[in-house]
Order: sequence, then C-alpha cells, then structure tokens
Amino acid sequence: MSYDRAGLLDALAARYVVGTMAPRTRRRFERLRSRLPAADAAAIAWERRTAPLAMVVPPVAPSASVWEAIDRRTGGREAGSERAAAAPGRAWWSWLVPVAGLAFGVLATVGVMRSDPARFLPIDEMIQQRGTLPPSYVGILVDAAGEARMLASSTRHGRTMSIKVLKPIDVPAGKVLQLWALPADGAPFPVGVVPREGKGAFELADTSEKLLSTVTRLAVSIEGAPAAAGATPGPFVLQGHCVKLW
Amino acid sequence: MPAPPPPLAPLLARTALGDRAAFRVLYDATAPSLLGVALRILRDRARAEDVLQEAFVNVWHRAGSYRESASAPMTWLTTIVRNRALDVLRSEGRHGADSLTDDEDGMRDIEDADGDPATLLERAGDALAIRGCLDAIEGVQRQCLALAYYRGFTHAEVAAHLGSPIGSVKVWLRRGLEKLERCLERKA
Repeated sequence: MSYDRAGLLDALAARYVVGTMAPRTRRRFERLRSRLPAADAAAIAWERRTAPLAMVVPPVAPSASVWEAIDRRTGGREAGSERAAAAPGRAWWSWLVPVAGLAFGVLATVGVMRSDPARFLPIDEMIQQRGTLPPSYVGILVDAAGEARMLASSTRHGRTMSIKVLKPIDVPAGKVLQLWALPADGAPFPVGVVPREGKGAFELADTSEKLLSTVTRLAVSIEGAPAAAGATPGPFVLQGHCVKLW
Repeated sequence: MPAPPPPLAPLLARTALGDRAAFRVLYDATAPSLLGVALRILRDRARAEDVLQEAFVNVWHRAGSYRESASAPMTWLTTIVRNRALDVLRSEGRHGADSLTDDEDGMRDIEDADGDPATLLERAGDALAIRGCLDAIEGVQRQCLALAYYRGFTHAEVAAHLGSPIGSVKVWLRRGLEKLERCLERKA
C-alpha cells in the first residue's frame, strides 16, 4: 500500500482517531505516524475536528484514590509530604477555580449556603492572593424546596459559561437539562445545556455582557432535546437570580 | 473549541516545569470530563479510572511535548485518554457479545447521566453550533459516527449493533466523516 496518497492517509487518520481500527491496524498506524509527519498531521487534524464531540460527554467525578495514585506515581508523596497532606483539603474547593473567588463572594453575600466558615478559608486565601474578583454574571439556582442546586457563572466579557452542580439533578433518560435566561422585559431564551451533576462549561452564543445585561433570572427546565432559539421552555425545575458581580 | 476555565495551557506549561500545584489544578479542572469520556468507551468505572490514572501519569511526564500551536489543551488531553481507553478496550479482546450487551456494571453510571450516543451527538451539534453539519449527515451515518466515537466500536461492532453488513458500515462512516469534515471546514 502506498501511503503517499493524501486522501488515503486522511481516511486512515480519521478511522484511527474515531477509533474504528482493529488493534493491529491501530498499532500499524501509530508506527506510521511516528515516522511520517504527514500521517501525524492528518491525525492531529482529525483529533482537532472530533474533539468538540467529547465536550458534551457528562463529566463524572473520579474517586479520590485516582489522584492519590497519580500523586504517588509521579513522586508527589515522596517529593513533599506537606503538599500531599494539603491536597485533600484543596480537592473540594478546586472546582471553584473557574469562578475563583467570586463564588465565595456570592455565597457569603447571598448567604445561600450555610457552612462552617473554616471550610472557606482556602478560598479566602485565594481571594487575598488574587486581590480582586473578576466582573462576572453569576446565578445560583435553587429547587422548589429552596435548596441551592447549581451555580452558573461567566465573566462579564467572556463567552464561556461555567456550571457547577451542587447536588445531582434527576433527569429522565434521553432528556436534557436546559438553562434559560429570563430577561426583565422579554421572553426566556435558551442559553445552553447543563450537566446533571459535577461541573461543566459551554460556549455562549455571544459575550455574557451582550446576552445577560438585561437578564434578571436564570432557570433550568427538563427538555426532550436542547432548545433552539425562540423555543418555549417547559416547567422550570430550578430558578434563581442572575446578578452582576462588579 | 472554547478552552474551559481555568486556562489550561499555562497549567500544562507549569506542569512541564514540574509544578505539582499546577498539575493538581489541571487534574481537578479536567479529570471529570476525561473520566466521562473513558467511562463511555469502557463502560466500567474501575477500568476507566485506571485509564485516567495512566493518562495523567503520562501527562506529568509528557507535558513538555505539548504544542499549543498544534492542538488545544483539552484536545490534547482528550486524545491521550481516548487512545488509552481504546487500547484497553481492544487489548481486552472484548469484541463480540460482551461489548454489545447493555447490562454490564457501570452501565447505570452512563445511562443515568444521559441518553445514548446518538443523543450525545445531537447535543454536540447544538452545543457547538454545528447542528447544520450534523443534520447534513444522514441518520444511519450519524449513528455509525456516534457508536464509533462515543462507544469506541470497531467497524465490525458497529455492523453487529446495527445488523448491517460491515461494508455498508465502512461506507456510511466514511461518508459521515467526510460530511462532517467539509462542513466544519466551511464553518472554520
């Protein structure tokens, strides 16, 4: 077989990246890739094209033992027991990194969560390190019982909405959780699909400032499919204020 | 593809320099998404977590080889995890009935989280505003692509799953990919 033909190479790279190659063929393509730059480039191009498909896979929180094993195998425990000891404490708040200290500010100000203040100490330290909170739009969504279930945040001029699900939400198989923005003087519009648990991020259609400047509330409904522009939302299972943090 | 916050490229760069704190933040920011990808292919939590562990040990040692110009950080990480998951899947020789039954342990993890591969692909289209691209792919081609990408099925397994000849599956998948490629490049 001649590997000079770009079309063939591209087709092989696509099959390799999508994953349909049989094991032996897979090994063979990997060897080819290591010695033929064109094969490597073709595979990288397909990895880039297909990567967006992975972004919608719902996140699953790993067991704590996974990091412990990684830490041990990469020399963390041996290298510094002090750091290793600090790691578990950092794990629980590290999801806040996307929204950094602002989450602390909102949680403390709005008082949605009552927690042992000591638990927030690491974030407090982080805020002191950062100095300021980035201007952001933030929503804390609560369920019918008033319990906080989801945190949505996006920097003022950013295009990425970060979601943290505080407590898993029941969603029937085949359904999706749709986030809606509710402007003060207009119809709700769909913002994106959010995970039922864990955390996630998705790209907004425009900057937060453009989309959310007149939005006073956010809400989540269960839909059969991601809502298109102009769609009417089903009953809201979560709702909350959308506030400007600046 | 949007880079999920926090910015991953600087974290990878610091990881390459042996910064363990950056490595940990990188792990916390990406591990849940990557475990989701591995779990979907392997359908077994223990094996998926093993893959995640191997992948991050690999990342620790290989972070210096990451080239930002070639791919986004999450693309690079996803590729490492997917390749390892596919290797594990193939090395276990689970081709056949085992992979096609829906009653394995770990299935619940997946089914609870959301729908089938085809639904995921639909969602990818919406989330990424490439719905038009996916709509242009005929149903069966789309189904092949979803089974291959999200479940790690080989041609033979897709064929068995759909009850179609393997030759047809190869053609469908090929055409589906070609359409996706053409459309994505138009968008780009």
